[in-house]
Formats: sequence, C-alpha cells, structure tokens
Amino acid sequence: MFKRFVSLEWKQFSRSSYFQKGLAIKILLVLAALYFIAMAVFAGIGAYFGIQKMLPDKNPVEVINNFVIYWFLTDMVIRFFMQQLPVLNIKPYMVIPIKRSTVIHFLLGKTTISFFNFLPLFFFLPFSIVLLAHDYSVLNVVAWFFSMMFFTLSVNYLNFLLNKNNKVFYVIATLLIAAGLLQFYGIYSITEPAGYFFNTIYNKPYAVLIPLLLMIMLYRVNFKFIRKDFYLDGAISKETKDVHTQELTWLNRFGKVAPFLKNDVRMIIRNKRPKQVLFMSFLFLFYGLIFYTQETYQEMPAFLAFASMFVTGGFLMSFGQLVPSWDSEYYKLLMSQNIPYREYLKSKWSLMVVAVLISFILSTPYIYFGWDIFGMIAAGALFNMGLNSFITLYGGVLNRVPVELNVKAKAFSNTQGFNPTQLLIALPKIFGPILIFYIPYKLINFETGIICLAVSGVLGLVFTNFFLNQIEKVYQKQKYKTIAAFSEKK
Amino acid sequence: MISVSNLSKDYNGVTVLKIDNLDIPTGESFGLVGNNGAGKTTFFSLLLDLIQPSSGYIKNNNIVVNESEEWKPFTSSFIDESFLIGYLTAEEYFYFIGELRGQNKADVNAFLKQYEEFFNDEILHQKKYLRDLSKGNQKKAGIIAALIGNPEVIILDEPFANLDPTTQIRLKKIIKELNEKTDTTILISSHDLIHVTEVCERIVVLDKGETVKDIQTSQATLEELEAYFNR
Repeated sequence: MFKRFVSLEWKQFSRSSYFQKGLAIKILLVLAALYFIAMAVFAGIGAYFGIQKMLPDKNPVEVINNFVIYWFLTDMVIRFFMQQLPVLNIKPYMVIPIKRSTVIHFLLGKTTISFFNFLPLFFFLPFSIVLLAHDYSVLNVVAWFFSMMFFTLSVNYLNFLLNKNNKVFYVIATLLIAAGLLQFYGIYSITEPAGYFFNTIYNKPYAVLIPLLLMIMLYRVNFKFIRKDFYLDGAISKETKDVHTQELTWLNRFGKVAPFLKNDVRMIIRNKRPKQVLFMSFLFLFYGLIFYTQETYQEMPAFLAFASMFVTGGFLMSFGQLVPSWDSEYYKLLMSQNIPYREYLKSKWSLMVVAVLISFILSTPYIYFGWDIFGMIAAGALFNMGLNSFITLYGGVLNRVPVELNVKAKAFSNTQGFNPTQLLIALPKIFGPILIFYIPYKLINFETGIICLAVSGVLGLVFTNFFLNQIEKVYQKQKYKTIAAFSEKK
Repeated sequence: MISVSNLSKDYNGVTVLKIDNLDIPTGESFGLVGNNGAGKTTFFSLLLDLIQPSSGYIKNNNIVVNESEEWKPFTSSFIDESFLIGYLTAEEYFYFIGELRGQNKADVNAFLKQYEEFFNDEILHQKKYLRDLSKGNQKKAGIIAALIGNPEVIILDEPFANLDPTTQIRLKKIIKELNEKTDTTILISSHDLIHVTEVCERIVVLDKGETVKDIQTSQATLEELEAYFNR
C-alpha cells in the first residue's frame, strides 16, 4: 500500500504546475537548494575550527550544546510559518478500503521527508565527522548526532500539532514568550539549563533515549489526534473560526482609495500567505546586522547602501512583486466591476509606502551603528518609497502567477511569483541604490552619496502621478493575459 | 441595449463562438441555454470584456465593450466564485461592492433589507468569511451583490445551480419583479429549462458556438426546448 501512496505522491509532485515550468527555474531551484546544503555543510565543518579559534579554551561541542536550543527554537518558529502540512490530501482515501492507520502513518511519514528535516542533517553530520576525526569518543558523538536528529524530528511533529491544535499552540506560544521575557529582563535564563541538558545528553550516550522517546511520544500524540478526527469535519477540515465584520472606518480618511485599502488590510490579516510575507519582511529589518557588524563591509559602502535599502524594503519588495497576483482569486470581479484602476494601484502603493515608513521607525535602533549608517537607512527608505515602489509595481504586472491566498508558500517548491522577468526587474532594485549612492560617493564624498540617494527618492515621490499613470497603462494593456493566467487551474 | 455584430472567438483555430447578429432590447429578460461547451460562458466573458473577441464586437448601450470601460458603471454580473472575495464576510463584501457603485453603508443596508427572505438568515451576521460558506450560500451572496446600485444590465451565469428549491423559487420571484418593475436588462444562462422558460421573455439556444433557436417565450416554449434537446 505504501508503495502505491509513494507513486501517487510522485505523480502529484511531477505533474504539479510549478514543476512543469521552465527548465531555467528548475535549475535555479536546485542551485538554491544546493547552496543551502553547501552552506550547512560548510558551517558544519567550519563550526569546529571556528569555535576552536575564537574560544580556544572551550570545547566546541559544549559551545554548540549551549546554543543549540536557539537553533531548535528558531527552527520551530520558521517551520510554523513556512512548512506546508500535507493534510488535505487524505480526503480521497477516506472512502476507499485502506486502513486508516496506514493512511495516517503515511501522512506523518510524509512530513518527515521535508527540506526542514534534511537541512540540520547537513550541518550535524559534517560536524560530527569532524569531531570523530579529532578523536572524540565515537559512542558519545554518534549518540549525540542521533539525539540532534531525533530532536529535529520532534520539532517536526510538534509543528504538526501546533498547526492543528489550538490548545497546543497557545501553551507552547505562552511558554516561549514567557521564557523570552524572563531572559530579556535577566530574571531567569533558559540558556544555561538548556546547555546543561544538551551537554548531559552528549556526556551520557544512553541519554539518546530521551529525544528518541520524545519523538515517539509526539508521533503517537499526532497519530491519536488525527485518528480521532479522521472525519470530514475533523482534522482535515479547514478551521473556521468565528469572525467579525471589521468596518475599518478609520481608513475612510484616505478618500477614494479607502475601499481598496480596507480590502488590502483585511487580505493581509486574514490569509496565510500574506501573513507569511509580513513575517518575512519583519526579518528583513535585521538584514543590516549582517553588514554593519562586519569590518570588511565598512570599507565597501556600496554594499552598505544595498543593505540599507533592504532594511526598510522587505515588505515593499515581497508584497509588491505579487501585486496583481494577490487579487488573482477574484480578478475577474475587479475587471468587470466599476473600478477606477488607478485607485486600485494607488492603494497598493500607499500600503507599500506606509510599510517602508513603519520599517524605518522600527530601524531607529540602528543609530547604534552611527549616524552615517542611519543616514544611509533613511536615504534608502526614501529611495524605496519614491523609486523602488514603482519599479516593484511595474514588475508585478509582468508577473501573472496566481497566488492561493490562504495556503502557505511551501519552502522550496514555491516558484509562485518567480520567473526570468522577475529577475530582470530585480536588477534595478538592487543596483539602483548602489549606483545612485556609489558614483557621487566616489566623485565627491559620503554625504553627497547619501543626499543623491535621498533626492532620487524624493524626485520619484514628486512624479508619483506620472509613474502611476505609466503603470496603469501597462496594467490595462496586459489585462486579458493576466485574466487568462489567473483563471488557469492551480 | 446590447447588440452583437459579427462576433467570433477562436482558440487555436477552433471557433468556440460565432454570433453574427443579436440584439437585446432594454428591459428584456434574456435567457441563454445550451449544452456544455455551447459557448454560454464565453459569450458572457466577451460581454464583460474578460476575453478578447477574435472578430466583431459587442455594444453595451452603444459602448463597444472592448474599447471603452464606460459600460462598467451600469453593468453588473455574477459569473462564478471568482466574483467573490473569499476573505471578506458577506457584509464587508456587500459594502465593498456598494462603495464601487456609489452606495454608502446605509444605502446598502436598506437595499439588503429587501432580500432578508432570500438570504434566509444564512448570509448576514454569520461570523464567517465568504470562502467558508457553502456553495449555495456563496451563490446567494454573489447574486444579490450583483443587484446592488441599480445596474441597468445584470448578467448571471447559471444562477439556479447549487441553490436549494426554496431559494430557486425566491430567486425566480426576484428576477420577475426586477423585470416587471424596472427597465433592467437581465441576461441569464441556465441548464434548467423549466426555470429559464419561467423567468425569461426570450430564449436563445446556443449549440457549438452558434445560435440555433431564438424564441419569444410562450406556453409552448418548454415543450419546444425539450424536444430540441431530446435529440
């Protein structure tokens, strides 16, 4: 039976629309996956030597053990937002004569074959091999390695519960927030006992039983949970919570744009995919940390200009590149209704500009790195509002990929909104700020560079009407193609 | 109100719709019947400028629909679920459509009041998003939304499908009343010959993209249609 399931899964995979897209995209996806794998392998090998170099009097395993709790916590959060659970697919199996337990085992087994479970393997395996090469006890290292894998799978199954069971979700979320607050205010640190815990697991190889039992237990809980609800109105049903009509009257002050703005706000807060984008754009805020903290980049202001643009541009870029696509599910309605297209576009644009402003306010802590850096972020924000917003909107029209709003994007199978045109459009977004900053910087000085970047954005804002008109024309021209593309079966 | 001239639509060399001449006068309730693939939805999509004609054109109140957008303010439609915004509650959806058609919240509320019976307490105050309503209830919301703002032309594709019997009867009543009391031009497609003969003054039969019958509805129409389809 399992064999037949696997063959069905393979058909589902190889016949799905994203797989039948261009070869170029497939190659890019494989390259991206290889990149992450290579990074993980590299980190796995490099971690030992890196730690040894930086903290010569510490044991690398202990250092890893002290921090591995953060790895698992991050893993959990990212999974919660990114990992797509294969739940709805069991519906066709409910009425044909297959044992329920077989279907459930298969379903749970399927979640195991996820990129999220393999990535840690590529880190912990090379790290363990390096340990063995340095004469660490074979038994300890092997047991530790399996412990890490079992923990990873435990997170995997826990994530399943988190997604399906509100009670579990609230309990875990409360615990995490409480731990985070306690840590933040220095009342109690979970890092130390966690480090102690993981070190104990390393030192006592038989302790591998703890994660193993944890994993089995979570698997059993999942199994029971699904078994109990293996009905149409049970585990596989989409959750319908009570919702309330939200008037959002405070948005009326935006005049003609208001009806669209209201819808956009509701769309973002009520659908999984846009929520994911919101979460991702929050992460963009920390992008600067990579660049500003490293000495090497201090001498390369072009890179800093690029990073500064990214800090405030996360939402703008990830939301904006899918602009008509967000409305793909009801695009025919918009196209046949009495809609001033310009207001529709302007609403999306306003949303992006507001997001840049909010990101900018949130980025004030970067003042810590000096006023130069903060000036750059401010100039980057202006560039984002005045130019990047229009470039992104323009790229969106050429995109034409339907988006399923209430379905999370799958990690690594998400080619939605990704095509060669998109890459081309990305070029001015990335190199624009670099060039606008770098040329005056080279010719005159740092301040002029910043001013030029800021002025370019202000100019864009001054010509807002012109740009919106141009984009509107492209939208009108592409109308039929877009409608046809959006009504294709997903 | 609506006039069609030499209209055709081809896909990869196959003609799916070819109507040389068709005039629908103002205030008529017009029914379109035909088997699957006859071109009903294609015709409505062309009328709403959702696809481009291969040749010819449709005029809606003397406006060529694929050249100007001026027909949009007085035309409304419900073709399928892609005309609903799934993440809105029914009220929010009605208010949104209302705003697009120049009706404020109070107008929309007053308008919805007339249709309380039709909604049967299953649409308003449901604490549910439209995407979580049943197919039939989604349809009810979509049809009523298409009536907001006194449109002069209303286009409904298969409005009776998925509705329960009581609602079908109520919908027929609504359409008849609109036809009698206002000058609204109503275009309906249906697979249900009984319903369509009951509410439409004129019925056109499409077959493989061409009009094969154009009947002013009378007592004998249902029999004539049944005889035609029972081939």
